[in-house]
Amino acid sequence: MSPGYIVDAHVHTGYPGLFFSPEVDAASLLRRMNQFGVQYAVNLGSMRNLLESSLGEMEKAQREFEESGERIFFCGFFDPRRGAADLAVLEKSAGFRGCKGIKIHPSFNKVAADDDRYEPAWRYAAERRLPIVSHTWSASSYNPVQVLSTPDKFERFIRSFPQVRLVLAHSGGRGDGRKEAIRLARQYDNVYMDFGGDILCQGYFETMIGEGLHDRILFGSDYPWIDARTHLTRVYLADIPTPAKRRILRDNALAVYGLE
Amino acid sequence: MEIDSYIEEEAARRGRQLAALRLWDANIWLGKPAFFPLAQELAPENMGPLLSRYGCRGALVSHWDSVHLGAQEGNQALLAAALPDNVYTVWTALPTVPQEPPPLPHIGLTDCRLRGVRLFPQTHHFELSPWVLGRLCEWCDERYLPLFLWHVEIRWSEVQALAAAYPGLAVVIETQWQKVLYNTRNLFSLLESCPNVLVESSNLVGQDHVSCLVRSFGSERLLYGSFLPANDPCAAIGLILDADISAEERTNILGANLERLIAGVRI
Repeated sequence: MSPGYIVDAHVHTGYPGLFFSPEVDAASLLRRMNQFGVQYAVNLGSMRNLLESSLGEMEKAQREFEESGERIFFCGFFDPRRGAADLAVLEKSAGFRGCKGIKIHPSFNKVAADDDRYEPAWRYAAERRLPIVSHTWSASSYNPVQVLSTPDKFERFIRSFPQVRLVLAHSGGRGDGRKEAIRLARQYDNVYMDFGGDILCQGYFETMIGEGLHDRILFGSDYPWIDARTHLTRVYLADIPTPAKRRILRDNALAVYGLE
Repeated sequence: MEIDSYIEEEAARRGRQLAALRLWDANIWLGKPAFFPLAQELAPENMGPLLSRYGCRGALVSHWDSVHLGAQEGNQALLAAALPDNVYTVWTALPTVPQEPPPLPHIGLTDCRLRGVRLFPQTHHFELSPWVLGRLCEWCDERYLPLFLWHVEIRWSEVQALAAAYPGLAVVIETQWQKVLYNTRNLFSLLESCPNVLVESSNLVGQDHVSCLVRSFGSERLLYGSFLPANDPCAAIGLILDADISAEERTNILGANLERLIAGVRI
């Protein structure tokens, strides 16, 4: 039986800690993927990996990739405060077939996205032809560290490394950051975005397709932060052409992460 | 082409599902949205077409001016709005002491469409406690008017104390304007502690939280809300349509619970 066709380009495994989640592991994720017709997922890391990347966490992600029948791919993590150590972990796990990119999180790591200390990760991604996916959001009154991840802060690296595909996770958030994300995607060929998280904005898909970004938008749930069911009906019932829905649900993620 | 055909079939199937629902929406907002700079403003004259588009049979509507200008500004705007017959209002209230100028729910009420009262204790600077809100709660309780509260405006212990003090008062915790995810441990405990607490669903987006809530407390405790025009209504609809719950539970959440709640209001 076909395992589905959708690619969920934004999931996590492991205990989230910050909130109640009845499902936390790769086996639970795989059951949900089967339920919702998701063929592949891209694991952007556990809380443990965000706190301290390690070869052990990468080996665990590789095991999950293999045990899932090569359906749950994953990204390594780069914290600019541990630049050399995290690059060494990325180097050691370079042979893992499930590893398809590098995740960064400027807000979580409290280092702005335009800081020089990210340059080694961009250079590494360019050499290895890997995409970078980053948390992005709008400047926020209730969560001030989000200002470190506003889309405009990525522009210097987007320009310097045109060969590196950058995924702006959460599309720059629910405020003005989304406007910046759209500008960057329109201006640069290497900029993509997912709508993982509670990016539930009315007219999101119609706006993005209207801006000509049909080949830049990736379906991502942010499991287990967010239930994939939050987004599926929205995509299916969006007032956009069917081929655009296919690109959003599948083709764009396959291309960005090189999954096939 | 095979995938395109599947997408079209799935879209058609979900469209049919949507058309067959008896949707009642607990959470629509008129006026210029606060907090969401890219969201479109919803005008009263657009309410009817909007509800038709989603096959919505009725709704509770609030006004953004209540948040960023003041309770009376929002209430005045709701009074002035020409609304379809199937749309009812949620006014914003303040404590009964000191006595403040109208329009407020408990002073000179002239809106026969009123079906709920909302408080913004943080934004409007008052305690969510019986010694401040006792008379207002009694006024709502006598009229079977539900009390609506954004989770970002409350302290959970205060809500628990208030709901326990007025067990006949329906207290609806709304999952806006930020996701309630980081407070679901408090939310579930509150539901267990106070049978008169309900939850509005527009941002109850955590993994399987809808099914967990229904399994733990019953479908009668959950109300569908879209949070239009900031949110796409198909987000909250999809969560409930695809949840691992029965058809009857789905019907309750997507409309029957709200219909029952507002049918009981006596003003």
